[in-house]
Amino acid sequence: MSKNNELVDDLVAKLKRRQLVGSSTVAQATLKLLIVVISKNNWTTCNQLVTLVKSVGRRLVQANPTELAVGNIIRRVLHVIREEFREAESIASHMDQNETHSAPLTTSSSMYNLLGETGSTPAEKNVQYPSSLRSNIIQEIREIKDELENIYENIKNQASLQIHSNEIIMTVGRSKTVEEFLKMAAVKRKFQVLVAESAPSYSGQEMALELSKAGIETTVIPDSAVFAVMSRVNKVILGTHAVLANGGLVAISGTHMMAAAAKHHSIPVVVCTGLYKLSPLYPYDEDSFNVTFNPDSVLGFEEGDLIEKVTVTNPYYDYVSPDFVNLFITNQGGHPPSYLYRLIVENYDPNDHTFDL
Amino acid sequence: MPPKEKVESTEQLLQAVILADSFDERFQPITLETARCLLPLCNVPLISYTFEFLAVAGVQEIYVFCCSHSEKVKDYVKQYEKTSNMKIHTIVSQECYSVGDAMRELDAKQLIDTDFILVSGDVVSNMKLDKVLEEHRARRQADKSAIMTMVLKKASPHHRSRAVGDGSLFVLDQSSKECLHYQPVKAFKSTRQDRRMTMDMEIFEKHPEIQIRNDLIDCQIDICSVEVPALFTENFDYQDIRADFVHGILTSDLLGKTIHFHEVSDVYAARVRSTQMYDAVSKDIISRWTFPMVPDSNLPTGDCYEYRRGLVYKEKSVVLSRTCVVEEKVVIGANTQIAENSVLSNCVIGKNCVIGANVKIDNAYIWDNVTVKDNCVVQRSIIANGAVLEQGVTVSKGCLISFNVIIGANTTVPPYSRITALPDEEEGEDELVSEPAVVGATGHGRSFKEAEDSDDEEDQVDPRNKQVNRLAFDMSALNFETLQQEESASEFESEASDVEEDEVNPAEELDREITQTLERAFKEDHDVDIAALELNTLRMASNSNFHEMRKRIIPGVLKNIDLSAKAGSKKTVKAVLTQWGPLIGKMIHDEEDQVDGLFILQKACATIYEDPALAQKIFAPTLRYFYDEEIAEEDSILKWYHSEASRDGTETEKRLHKVATPMIEFLEQSESEEDDEDEDSE
Repeated sequence: MSKNNELVDDLVAKLKRRQLVGSSTVAQATLKLLIVVISKNNWTTCNQLVTLVKSVGRRLVQANPTELAVGNIIRRVLHVIREEFREAESIASHMDQNETHSAPLTTSSSMYNLLGETGSTPAEKNVQYPSSLRSNIIQEIREIKDELENIYENIKNQASLQIHSNEIIMTVGRSKTVEEFLKMAAVKRKFQVLVAESAPSYSGQEMALELSKAGIETTVIPDSAVFAVMSRVNKVILGTHAVLANGGLVAISGTHMMAAAAKHHSIPVVVCTGLYKLSPLYPYDEDSFNVTFNPDSVLGFEEGDLIEKVTVTNPYYDYVSPDFVNLFITNQGGHPPSYLYRLIVENYDPNDHTFDL
Repeated sequence: MPPKEKVESTEQLLQAVILADSFDERFQPITLETARCLLPLCNVPLISYTFEFLAVAGVQEIYVFCCSHSEKVKDYVKQYEKTSNMKIHTIVSQECYSVGDAMRELDAKQLIDTDFILVSGDVVSNMKLDKVLEEHRARRQADKSAIMTMVLKKASPHHRSRAVGDGSLFVLDQSSKECLHYQPVKAFKSTRQDRRMTMDMEIFEKHPEIQIRNDLIDCQIDICSVEVPALFTENFDYQDIRADFVHGILTSDLLGKTIHFHEVSDVYAARVRSTQMYDAVSKDIISRWTFPMVPDSNLPTGDCYEYRRGLVYKEKSVVLSRTCVVEEKVVIGANTQIAENSVLSNCVIGKNCVIGANVKIDNAYIWDNVTVKDNCVVQRSIIANGAVLEQGVTVSKGCLISFNVIIGANTTVPPYSRITALPDEEEGEDELVSEPAVVGATGHGRSFKEAEDSDDEEDQVDPRNKQVNRLAFDMSALNFETLQQEESASEFESEASDVEEDEVNPAEELDREITQTLERAFKEDHDVDIAALELNTLRMASNSNFHEMRKRIIPGVLKNIDLSAKAGSKKTVKAVLTQWGPLIGKMIHDEEDQVDGLFILQKACATIYEDPALAQKIFAPTLRYFYDEEIAEEDSILKWYHSEASRDGTETEKRLHKVATPMIEFLEQSESEEDDEDEDSE
């Protein structure tokens, strides 16, 4: 087991208490923890390390199952570990020519392997791994870390391709990614942004303030007016909390309505997201990755007589099905929703979709 | 405490003190067997909500004060400490009987050397304390006499999370955030003292603008300075932190200390002070007002609740049968099974429970390892660990069924019962003697009787002030007292279902009680207000209405008249009417009541004196008095007079009807004159 239980406990508690929220924050915290766990613990084989990371991962994911970025980062790390071991093994087998060529340690994404022996890891062989393995793995994970830190750079560089002069853009809620994206576009182009206020969190208002500070012509509209003004809009640009395997979004409530209105008016919907938000999980029902918040912002707790008689729910997210989305702009370029499966295969190992050992 | 920790605490180490004992008996008999702070609230021990609240506030060190069931608390705290990064110390003190004792103990042990957070072990809150702490520290820097900051939460007067009967009145200065005066408020203000508030005139001189607030929930989360425990030691008679300490400090001229407040509105904070609050807070948690402290956050390790639509929280290992119905607002703990056709709504069910077929559970709190067999009905009750309800048991509202009680088949447990399986020590029993009348023939348990209030300091505790705290206490009965002036008798019909089937006929009982009350009032020359209050109390206690009251009070007053009494005596018609007439007036509110009153008067006079001549001697002046004092208005008198019923009855009654004729004529005449005048003036 992990020697860094205290650190894990701490992060688990913070996730449970929701002291750490937001995809990017939790992703970075998870990665930081994993680097410590991997570098401070003793392990020799691939299986050992995978088990170690998975056991930590399971606790973190259970702590707050709706923060999908936690699971994604763990899967990325596991993928890196498996890749590095595979590479080290092939080098080792090259050096030891006597040994018969061994099957790859982990399943690759070929059709043969998907149907064949997924899940069963071949028995550990007595391979002498090069001493650089540990540092290589850490190095690879640091690269993920760099990627996380520079995520906005890669996304916002595509801004001028998407936004043209004198366009009217609509967005909802406050997303750091969308904010950076629009600000970047504003350097070269002049355009107008409509922001839905996003009740009851009103994060749209904050977003509008930030955009107007950057000199973008911004208008706040009530959520109820989204459909009414949609006909004038050229493009809808959305941020998201997570992207699911089918291309569906878990995004701030109000997004679904906006996406549906856009579809009605045949207006393109573009989603800006870092790849770390892409999860290999499927939504089996619309509530599965949602969080229901304190109803206080919908109906004040002071209204004692009312709250006894009425049930108030305040879901924070919407599920937006993939057919509402036209394009995903990620740090690896733009992709249509139908292409997401490929990104998942490239970034995650199918053995890691769940953290059961 | 090792000295090393002392060094640490000179830095800004945030400490908290939890008073794990409630020093009252509201949860008995359940609290006879476990500590109050370990009672499960939505399947999580109460105190862990408090721990969680403090952990979020950034507290590093906690002292838990406990006295009753200290071993159990200690065990739990040890277990909890393992999973948290806070240092938690348990202080056991068997001699503590109040908050004051605990604070004195704290002072004696010298454990605290910085400002600390004082909470009781039953606080549920999602508040972030950093702002309050900051405010408090800044104030302390500026003014050393600011010794305490209370956190108060705004809520409407009839809010469900307001503890009924534990109200408080705060006099506040918004500009300096200072609390100027404090007064506890009881639900039933039976003594004159309860109804009055005395404030120092100086307050008005010093503060140009003050607020007197009754809309604040006092969640008893206090930021205290080190002086607070010391002040408790100095004033060794302080028991309660509010009624004694705050009130005492604020009214004292010598100490010169000030107490401040912090008002919050958009966060949740409440205390589980009573069974009624247990119900309210459970509902708040289920309705997610306490977010993120909700079951599906799975704060205790090992929990694995899922949130479903309709505020249903279900552990993964729950087995629900195909036909059972889980309605709204339900929490179901791990490994619980629910059989066919059972209906659950607004309830919490613990771990490892077995719920049989065709069971109806509504608004109930069922703890761990409870077995509820087929065809049971449970309403608005608490059923503690290990209890068994055999087939066909009905548990009515407001019951507390303690640990390991067995209720035999087909028993109906009456409302507000408290049943325990512990032997009655006061009776000197070593083994439990089951009471088949309560728990059925095959049951195991006895009804629990509350110990007599030995607290002599509180001169008279109105028993109803205890009742209002109970689970499922009828709020309608309560609201009613404050509204009675506006509401008429006709609107109040006794809820027959609520009245227990007693051997004593409730009507006779009421008769007797009222007669006694009146006799006492006459004899001791009570104030009419006091007599009215007592009678009102009786009315509510017996769940009666105003008509019943009038039927008894009017004859009662009239009986007191002695026709042979000489002028100047207290018993003449006039003297009695002037003294006690207003009492009748207090029982009459609208026109319908007035007509009713007149019928009663007619009947009463006829009953007291068979002889019409004597009867009319009281009837005429009383009628006159009614008219003069506007107890009965013109219209009502006419209505009475012209009604069929008033003309019927015994000879005497008929005679009395006739007696009224001159007066009626006079009234009709004057009315028509008025009409004439009106017409003239037009």
